[in-house]
Amino acid sequence: MFLARIDGTVVPAAKHATLEGCRFLVAQRLEADGSTGAEPLVVIDWLGAANNSTVLVSTDGDIARQHYGNTTPGRMVVVGIVDPVQVPREGTGRTS
Amino acid sequence: MRLGIVRGSVTLSPAVPEFLGLTLVVLEPVTMANLRAKNGLAGGKSLIAVDALGAAKGQMVAFTEGSEAANPFWPKRIPVDAYCTLIVDSITTNSPSLEK
Repeated sequence: MFLARIDGTVVPAAKHATLEGCRFLVAQRLEADGSTGAEPLVVIDWLGAANNSTVLVSTDGDIARQHYGNTTPGRMVVVGIVDPVQVPREGTGRTS
Repeated sequence: MRLGIVRGSVTLSPAVPEFLGLTLVVLEPVTMANLRAKNGLAGGKSLIAVDALGAAKGQMVAFTEGSEAANPFWPKRIPVDAYCTLIVDSITTNSPSLEK
């Protein structure tokens, strides 16, 4: 699991049949030194994470399989939204 | 899932039976800088993924990596570790001025 900042949304032109109706967000992985990952990640969200919010992303596809069935390729899922007051102002993340 | 741009395809002959009939594409992962710049460049280290959606050359896809990439073939076991999960129509990201 890792923390990530929501940085945008993805509108799919086509997607795996199991992920119909799914919300896909662009997330940037947050490192302990406050930097972000070089490559954006597409994560599945059903908690309603807002733009710029800090979320916890799990890379275990098991929760996706429970939601979308055994044949889903879904893997990275937002499992929680970090309460903004818990995010340090310096170092990691930001409270926007 | 990471984002990648389809740069080409791969044909195997011969291949292990599990791979027969699969479409393989060459993906170049997209970096955040290139995504923001919307310059059509990708910039990552390329990899091969299975594509069942019919992604065309130049299109951007999001691909799943790891054992979950083989889930679509469940209960068949197949040595696939990257799978095109969606084709991108459009992406909205925060403007670069909001960064840092």
